[in-house]
Amino acid sequence: MLALTWLLLLAAAAWTAPWLPLPDPAAMNAEARLAPPAWSAAPLLGTDPLGRDLLARALAGARVSLLVGVLGALVALAVGVPYGAFAAQLGGRGERFMMRAADALESVPMVVFLLFLLALLQEYRAEMAVLGFGRLHVFFLAVGLLFWLPAARVARAETLRLRGQAFILAAQAGGAGRARVLFRHLLPNLAPVAGSLLMLTLPRVVLMEAFLSFLGLGVEAPAVSWGILAADGLAALNPLVDCWWILLVPSAFLVLTLWALDVLARSLAGKQ
Amino acid sequence: MNAPRLLRRLVALLVTVLIVHAAAFLLVRGTRGGPFDGERELHPEVRAALDARFGLDRPLVEQYWSALSGLLRGDFGPSLRYRDTPVKQILADALPVSLGIGGGALLLALLLGVPLGLWAARRGGWAEAAALGAGTALLAVPGFVLAGVLVLIFSFRLGWLPPAGLGGLRHALLPCLSLGLPLAAQVLRLVHASAREILGGPAVRAARARGLSDGHILRRHVLRPALVPAAAFLGPAAAAALTGSLVVEQVFGLPGLGTHFVQAALHRDYTLALGATVLFTALLGLCTLAADLLIAKLDPRAEGLS
Repeated sequence: MLALTWLLLLAAAAWTAPWLPLPDPAAMNAEARLAPPAWSAAPLLGTDPLGRDLLARALAGARVSLLVGVLGALVALAVGVPYGAFAAQLGGRGERFMMRAADALESVPMVVFLLFLLALLQEYRAEMAVLGFGRLHVFFLAVGLLFWLPAARVARAETLRLRGQAFILAAQAGGAGRARVLFRHLLPNLAPVAGSLLMLTLPRVVLMEAFLSFLGLGVEAPAVSWGILAADGLAALNPLVDCWWILLVPSAFLVLTLWALDVLARSLAGKQ
Repeated sequence: MNAPRLLRRLVALLVTVLIVHAAAFLLVRGTRGGPFDGERELHPEVRAALDARFGLDRPLVEQYWSALSGLLRGDFGPSLRYRDTPVKQILADALPVSLGIGGGALLLALLLGVPLGLWAARRGGWAEAAALGAGTALLAVPGFVLAGVLVLIFSFRLGWLPPAGLGGLRHALLPCLSLGLPLAAQVLRLVHASAREILGGPAVRAARARGLSDGHILRRHVLRPALVPAAAFLGPAAAAALTGSLVVEQVFGLPGLGTHFVQAALHRDYTLALGATVLFTALLGLCTLAADLLIAKLDPRAEGLS
């Protein structure tokens, strides 16, 4: 219940952030640098070394992080679910080959490969900009690459269960081709499984975005995300000036959200 | 696991490493722009000399063959950024750091997670709820956030531990905690779930009926089967420790594999990035294999399944 409340509140706040009475997340204020959280007055959650309001920045980061999370998870499902369903439908040697290939990919440190790819793609920045293609788009592709494996496995198991059921047999007897059975009969029936898969993938994508942005390979400044904010906070840490809020405010947003998504996914999985 | 099976796994691992190496090699060489493209245009002669020195002017197939034969000797050529240091040397220096931190984190995860999981399963009630709740909360904390918070508390506020750098056990403690605590939470959940199932099962009831003491039952009849899921988690845990090390090493300024790899990727030091990628793949494969061996040891029934 707490988890759901937090997520709804966060989504609402992130959605309405531009209309809330908060300073511009990018506006610097030389007068109010490193102001600690006032809790009830103007910089509610304090400001960073450039005097930017941290609550405004955290909410702006929430917009990016949540959007990236949802879209990334959808990409992973869009790759994984049809792959698994098709493999199960195929059966026999084709199925075995497709699932073996997926298993083999599992043993490769994909994160390392992903970093490699993102670093190499920096060379093609100019061309990508011409095509209207940013690093975020690459990120979605990469996330699809990373997180489609569990989705494929679950979709396959579920399809195996559906495959022998009467309505599929009826469709086949009615002369429906393989593609038609897949798209009209199998995939729609995978929707409930896809829903719980989405909930499981979402926190992993949000975490991955934060991780990559933290390393400087994800979302690019001037845009903000929680990963960027946490990296800023960590960079600002030093033993002389006590400014814990720069690190802890965005981290708290990130941790609470990951926790809430995890709790929600578990309770959904428990109900099924 | 019998010998032919083990051999087959090792061959599969070798093939994986070769494929990863080839893919990374092709990606690197297929990308325009090299390590010598800077702000300033190099004189063509200087450029040609550099290319010749690092073999970048030869045909692709030839370059691949020399890279492959180098790989088999564990030789990845000179680093493109630290011009006079072979990649092999950098990796050899970095490996103990990373293995120490990663191994420490895994050890910590087991030492904290297993007893706490068993304890939670046996105590029940509020203790169980508290342990599980803490575990769930800890799971949501990414390594770099945990690292920052730990530094903030133990280094800056309390001044107990050094915030960064390489040194003795005191330096290693915070990185190991940052990497290991989320893993410990996962181990706790796994051990708890399987221990609770076993505690309610017929084997434990039979042992109780024979009049065995609680401690004996826990040690001899619950611990071993309860460890199987934790052992199965060792492979994914190694992967997680590897991923986490990419950021945690940076936060603590440790010259480990993760730091070197990220810096190499960011600075286009392709030979070093390639070497690190291959090493990561091999390490991960070996960890997964070790986990499978351990499972087979703990639970002979698992042999037929994998």
